[in-house]
Amino acid sequence: MMDPIGPTSAVRAGRFVLLLLPFVIGVACVLLSFVPLSSVFGLQVAPLYALIVVYFWSIHQPDVLPPYAVFGIGLLYDLLSFGPIGLWALVFLATYGFVQSQRLVLLGRPFAMFWFGFVITAGFAGSLAWGMACLYNGQWIAVWPVVSQILATVFVFPVFVMLFSWASRSVNSSSS
Amino acid sequence: MKDPSNRLSSPLQEFTHRVSLIFMLTLAAALLLLGRAETYVFDQARQVVTDVAAPLLELASRPVAATRRLVERTDEYAYVFDENEHLRDENAVLLEWKEKALRFEAKIARYEALLNVQVDPSISYVTGRVVGDKGGPFVETYIVNLGRDHGVSSGQAVVDSDGLIGRIVSTGDRASRILLLTDLNSRVPVVIEPTRYRAVLAGDNTPWPRVEYLPAGSGVAPGDRVVTSGHGGLMPAGLPVGVVIATDDGFLRVQTFSNRDRLDSVRVLQYEFPSEVLRQDPPLALQKPPEPEKSKPEAGKPKPLAVAPTPASATAPNGGQ
Repeated sequence: MMDPIGPTSAVRAGRFVLLLLPFVIGVACVLLSFVPLSSVFGLQVAPLYALIVVYFWSIHQPDVLPPYAVFGIGLLYDLLSFGPIGLWALVFLATYGFVQSQRLVLLGRPFAMFWFGFVITAGFAGSLAWGMACLYNGQWIAVWPVVSQILATVFVFPVFVMLFSWASRSVNSSSS
Repeated sequence: MKDPSNRLSSPLQEFTHRVSLIFMLTLAAALLLLGRAETYVFDQARQVVTDVAAPLLELASRPVAATRRLVERTDEYAYVFDENEHLRDENAVLLEWKEKALRFEAKIARYEALLNVQVDPSISYVTGRVVGDKGGPFVETYIVNLGRDHGVSSGQAVVDSDGLIGRIVSTGDRASRILLLTDLNSRVPVVIEPTRYRAVLAGDNTPWPRVEYLPAGSGVAPGDRVVTSGHGGLMPAGLPVGVVIATDDGFLRVQTFSNRDRLDSVRVLQYEFPSEVLRQDPPLALQKPPEPEKSKPEAGKPKPLAVAPTPASATAPNGGQ
């Protein structure tokens, strides 16, 4: 039997925010990659924060991070980084597909397992991006910048997952 | 609340999701291929996005810059006495250099006059702040908060207090992009001092760009200074770039003077190649200063102040004696 009373406006607003949240956080993470923090922390390349967004939501709630949102986040990263347009969009989408295929293995596991899954995912994304960049430029590209970026991303992963979990929980509770 | 693990459980939903993923993957691959063929549209798109993002990045970079200054200042306080001692010693050496430089300056001015050297016009510049880091591992570019509104255009050289950083490759109204010397696509004509051999400085995404097209047996050795040659007319000649170093891979590379990890304020040089050079025969610097006419003024009439131009052929050089 259907519920005679529809959702309140607060719940509707909560659902709308829930749908937008991963994309907005993804865009913010892309912008954060370009804030000149490297000089403060001594990093050669900023971590790939957007990859954490793709990994986290494609496991926890893939319905609020559809492929076109992942494409949008990747395209923004391509446009701002002045690299080949479509490279990071393709890498993020391939990573999204890869994580989706392993979703049930990682869902509901302890955090260490979740983190280990990210190490594998980040390695996959970094290798794919590096291989495609080499093909695109027709020459071998220094591998150390992408390795250092992936290591930095793995290192900051727990902090960002904590923030994303908190944001996701807050919006989920207001939308239900 | 719905169990998150049950999302995408409907077969129809899963099917549309899969189709959507394949479509987006194809679109991204198509963009990647199109990007190689149609660069203009993509460059415009990049610049529009950079222009929109620049104010946000500038806002976000302010606290970062303030933090960095605070850290640097704290470091400086810790070493203030040593630094003071070091600066005193350096000042004594620099005063000797100043005397030498003044003597050389006078001598060079005299030789330039004798040789009729056409000195490059003075270069104006605008100062801006680096607001955007490079972000990705495959491209070495920075975003600076200067655009067409400030007179910045593609190809202009960018320097910091230590030397050349790179050049502008893309310009919007409010922001521009600097291609660093270390980027894979950067090629800058340079001269190695003191041998004056020409070479090309080629970036390869490592912190030390390579010295290429150097003649065999040129005698260039680690420690030699590298400056811009000015060939091609994009950059002024003589901008300090770095020093030659030898690496294990057998290439001669350059350790740049500018520290790309500490880039904050940069200068964009608005240099234009002096394509129209006026012929001076003899050089203006050597022409005799015009003398006032010594004829008697006519009675009742004031003497005109205008001085007749001295014929060039009658002017003797006065600098060669």
